[in-house]
Amino acid sequence: MEKNVFYLLIGVVAVILLGIFWYSVENFTPVIFSISFLVAVILLYLAYRRVEDFVEDERSARITEKAAMRTLQVFWVCFCAFSILAVMNLLYLPRFNREFWMNRQSMIVPPELLSPKMIGYTQLALLCLMIFLYVGFRIYYARKFGEWETDEE
Amino acid sequence: MQDLTQEDLAKAIGVTRQTILAIEKGKYIPSLDLAFRISRYFKVDIEEVFSYEDMQRTVDID
Repeated sequence: MEKNVFYLLIGVVAVILLGIFWYSVENFTPVIFSISFLVAVILLYLAYRRVEDFVEDERSARITEKAAMRTLQVFWVCFCAFSILAVMNLLYLPRFNREFWMNRQSMIVPPELLSPKMIGYTQLALLCLMIFLYVGFRIYYARKFGEWETDEE
Repeated sequence: MQDLTQEDLAKAIGVTRQTILAIEKGKYIPSLDLAFRISRYFKVDIEEVFSYEDMQRTVDID
């Protein structure tokens, strides 16, 4: 099997999985999706073993390594910053206003800017953003290490 | 050796053609292991294939 056929197969499997996911949600049958997911993973693994022109050398390993490292560096800063902000928002702390602490009982507490549900959604969105961040860094380092260089040959 | 293509060399030393091209263009610095494999393939000393000045130039790119 060629590498490009394998990538096409991944796309097709992903689309089918998405369809099954929605079917499972609509019909309240999480078992169907769970089984489908496992079958998809096994199928892709078997297909991966049949790919013949899949050469991974030290340069491609370095591209992967650098992209993963940079993604993690950027991601954990963004994720932690948002999570700290969310916790502060939920706990109404810290507050550097002396008047607030002295008359704590009578003070009107401001409404939450972010509900716990929205915090969860935003964290999920950040996780999804990590995938795009990784792809972006991968393209950057692939270009840096001459992935799309052409020559006269 | 004159008929040697990048593809042939890449297959012989177990890397992709893009890696050979990237090394030629100075976009990628090979590891010591790969540098030795290339020099052994040509049956020459490593200094005949790679020089320190060239490496310095590629380090700046990296």
